Amino acid sequence: MIPELLGENGRLHPHWETFFQSYSQLGDEEIALRNEDMMRLLTENGVTYNIYGDPSGLNRPWNLDIIPFLISKHEWPAIESGLLQRAELLNLILKDIYGERRLIRNGILPAELIYNHAGFLRQCAGIHLPGKHHLIMYSADLARSRDGRIWVVNDRTQAPSGSGYALENRTAMTRVLPELFNGLEVRHLSPYFNALRNGLHEIAPHQRLNPRIVILTPGSSNETYFEHSYLSSYLGFTLVQGNDLVVKDSHVWLKTMGGLERVDVILRRVDDIYCDPLELKEDSQLGIPGLLQAVRSGHVSIANPIGSSVLENPGLMPFLQSIARWFLSEDLRIPTIASWWCGQPKELDYVLAHLPTLVIKKINRNPTGTSSVDGASLSHRELSEWKQRIRSNPSLYVGQEKVDISSTPSLIDGKIESRKVLFRSFLVSNKEGYVAMTGGLCRTSSKEGNFIISNQSGGISKDAWILSPEPGRVVNVLKETTERPVAGDNDMLPSHAAENLFWTGRYTERVLGNARFLRTVMQFVVEGRTERSLLTALTKYSYTYPGFAGEGSEDRFAHPWVELKEVLLNEKRTGSLKYNFLQFNRAIHEVREHWSTDTWRVLRVMEEEFRQNIPLTHQGHIRMLHTLDNLITFVVAFIGLTRESISREQEWILLDLGRKIEQSLLLITMLRVTLTGRYSDQVEYNLQQSVLMSHESLVNYRYKYRMPINNELVLDLMLFDPNNPRSLTYQVDRLKTYLHLLPRVHAGHVQTEYERLILEADTLLQQTDRRELAQADENLYEYRKLDDLLSRMYTLLSAIPDVISKTYFKHELTSIIDK
Amino acid sequence: MNYSIIHKTTYTYFEPVSLCHNVLRLAPRDTTRQVCKSATVKIHPEPDTLREYEDFFGNKVIYFSIEREHGQLTVDVHSEIEKIATVIYQQEEEEAGEISQYTFETPMTACSEEIKAYARVSFRPGRNVLEAATDLMHRIYTDFTFTPGFTMVSTPLSVVMRERKGVCQDFAHLAIACVRSAGLPARYVSGYIETIPPPGVEKLVGVDASHAWFSINIPRMGWVDLDPTNNVPAGDQHITIGWGRDYSDIAPMKGIVLSSGSHGLSVSVDVRRSG
Repeated sequence: MIPELLGENGRLHPHWETFFQSYSQLGDEEIALRNEDMMRLLTENGVTYNIYGDPSGLNRPWNLDIIPFLISKHEWPAIESGLLQRAELLNLILKDIYGERRLIRNGILPAELIYNHAGFLRQCAGIHLPGKHHLIMYSADLARSRDGRIWVVNDRTQAPSGSGYALENRTAMTRVLPELFNGLEVRHLSPYFNALRNGLHEIAPHQRLNPRIVILTPGSSNETYFEHSYLSSYLGFTLVQGNDLVVKDSHVWLKTMGGLERVDVILRRVDDIYCDPLELKEDSQLGIPGLLQAVRSGHVSIANPIGSSVLENPGLMPFLQSIARWFLSEDLRIPTIASWWCGQPKELDYVLAHLPTLVIKKINRNPTGTSSVDGASLSHRELSEWKQRIRSNPSLYVGQEKVDISSTPSLIDGKIESRKVLFRSFLVSNKEGYVAMTGGLCRTSSKEGNFIISNQSGGISKDAWILSPEPGRVVNVLKETTERPVAGDNDMLPSHAAENLFWTGRYTERVLGNARFLRTVMQFVVEGRTERSLLTALTKYSYTYPGFAGEGSEDRFAHPWVELKEVLLNEKRTGSLKYNFLQFNRAIHEVREHWSTDTWRVLRVMEEEFRQNIPLTHQGHIRMLHTLDNLITFVVAFIGLTRESISREQEWILLDLGRKIEQSLLLITMLRVTLTGRYSDQVEYNLQQSVLMSHESLVNYRYKYRMPINNELVLDLMLFDPNNPRSLTYQVDRLKTYLHLLPRVHAGHVQTEYERLILEADTLLQQTDRRELAQADENLYEYRKLDDLLSRMYTLLSAIPDVISKTYFKHELTSIIDK
Repeated sequence: MNYSIIHKTTYTYFEPVSLCHNVLRLAPRDTTRQVCKSATVKIHPEPDTLREYEDFFGNKVIYFSIEREHGQLTVDVHSEIEKIATVIYQQEEEEAGEISQYTFETPMTACSEEIKAYARVSFRPGRNVLEAATDLMHRIYTDFTFTPGFTMVSTPLSVVMRERKGVCQDFAHLAIACVRSAGLPARYVSGYIETIPPPGVEKLVGVDASHAWFSINIPRMGWVDLDPTNNVPAGDQHITIGWGRDYSDIAPMKGIVLSSGSHGLSVSVDVRRSG
């Protein structure tokens, strides 16, 4: 029995008793099934946590233990008031450090502890911020010791993460296991998110009424990117990256499809030194040049302010009690774990003498890994190395007492086991003071007995249930409000999202076009109609040189399957199907908030298709064809789903614009590599047939012409038929419409460059003498006129994306001058 | 003695620039040894925003942006300085905590084993600190060759140490790393030095340059400026712009432009006595 579950009288705590009653009523079998449901739901919702430095770490699925962490109604008020006090206190310290520095001047805080901390940004000193609090958001990691006392283990003040995961955990729990809430008054999370929304509105400069609030993310490879995009859609704030924003006239502006829009508040998920390459880390690609100047001018508010990571310093812990006395004339309500900052001689001696029994922490947090070491886990040699390290730079280290963290029941592989648990709480500043989330995110150690718990080193999350009546309203645990406000329809699409939607469209067609042609070629080969010119066309079309077109092609002609498999599955080959799929996937993840749950499911089965190990046997050949069939179906399903799940007109235009551009360019390339050369009639017939097959147009051809395949009619169908959705004329027509629908960046009726290009392409196509195209130039063994037309069309159409990029995406290179 | 300093910086862009943000630290501050009577900054094209403020160290900072397309940027700073000759070293009102920040290593003053060993020769236990620092300055002057173009801002100090070459910035950083390795506070000073042509030769316009040296904090004496490039204490011919922990705190001009092209840069400095 886990001691935590027992009350003073040695019997189960009443709340655990209630919980386990519901739990056992479900029964082990049902619990196992629900657990599977839970995993499926989280995966389908795309809940992930990325691990740095682990190739398979990107998009690691989120783990949720279905047994929650319970906090009783007797415990919570003390925890809450302790957290509120600590938030107020840290806020005062932050203001003081970047303001008058009275704590240092009065000898309450040692100067070295602050001045030697990487989070102390001298550039931020003296900046006056409006508002009651400077510290807008605060998170504390709490632990309960075996004697039931609560301790603060870490303070998170820079860009605390986890609130979105907490909300997702709760949503999943209420959906999958509503029965477990029976008889327990579990507090809701929504008051916190309302407070967050209010709090961010309150800090808008000049008390603007409808401030534009954005969430600044480092991008989709960040460990908690899921949460950035989740909060963005839940709170209705635009998700942006540094290069979406620009500073002009000391204001921050969002680059959108419709021009620049002023930004009032930035919810920051980028570490502070990366925020402004002008004054902070010069080579940062994640920030906005001039951001600090906009802050100095008071035209933008950032939560948390740049520089707030100075509080993420375990060396502050031993001083907090005296700071609380000094600022508030109060004692700390939640004690901090006994800590010794080695910058003082007595403390240094103590830490060196007791190293094996302490946790060693660096005052600077290592963002990509753990910055704590359990002294007990160190070998004799490691211990002396650590001593050496501490002695040569004592002010960088802190020794901390190990709290005997109590355990809590966890469901591990179908069995209930005990695990140590950390509880992360979330607070946000509001007019009246701080508001604490009545709930939180728990993480348990990956192995029993592990002392240091971090998401980066693996670990399982838990929902945290605070059990007490909801003040002032009727409780309905099944209805956690998760309604998501949707961004207004008038909002212009941010350029970064626009660009990635455009590229998603392009890669969709690239994957589809390549899959279809590859399938056609494989079908020919399987049927024994191995055609050299067709294999060569595949290499040229997919741009997988040398392949069947360059050096070593003789060997490949003799054993085509080796190469065909590479073109399908080798992700390291530029132009291979898997390579293009990965590009496609990347673009999709950059705009992940635009896709529906169904879309994610399709993407996941596509990933699985690529994960197969296919042998080079006849059986394997058939399996490859089967894989291609599946992939083609999934891409077509994806296209259909995007039409449904993308709600805004502008998003759809960009996605489809990308598709049409890519379709045109691919079609031109296809015709150039198959139909411009003069071969024997039989070979030409095969090539013409492959073109039709690769465009699903064989039936269409037969129905329309009722004649054997011939060059002129194939060209008629693929180039000129306005009713054939695969023809070039059709694509050019759609492009004309879409380009016309793009927002006008320049006033007046000036013809834009992309409009000129598409008009010229359109005219060229219309004025072509169709009969001449099918006439081979007998001396040159090629269809010269056709090749000329295709090459001119390619030049015109391929220039359009560049113009669009310059006009709407604006990603000019930023170079740094340093005299 | 009074000085008039004209510092001209010109950037020429090969592709037009649509937006630039710049931070200047070129207006001299007042010190115990000098009064900056005026500092006029002329920027062309006219900036769209401009803001003046003092940084953490008390240096004067000018931020400006140009938000229209331009092909060239010129910044002219004209400063009038009055040197104060009376006191040599004057204890400044500064708290120990503030001084202690100058004892920590920074990326630009990273201390290798080789540098530590070099410092130990001067900073022997029990030796008078001023004597040790003066000895260090003298050794750097003797052991190292002033070689313009050998280093860049990003060249690590270990390379300077190994090759024994560099410019005033490198020598200042090296001295600072040495002083800090002895556990003492040292800071980086950016400024100018008056150059005097040989007798009979007229001084040419713009031959001077930005200069840099180091300053060591000595208990009961305060900050003492030493110039290892010229092997002299910084005196009447040195004009201070400002200081920091290393070059990056007091870089004369930092800027970010939005442009795909490269740029050319020309700088001219003229330091003249004005009475």
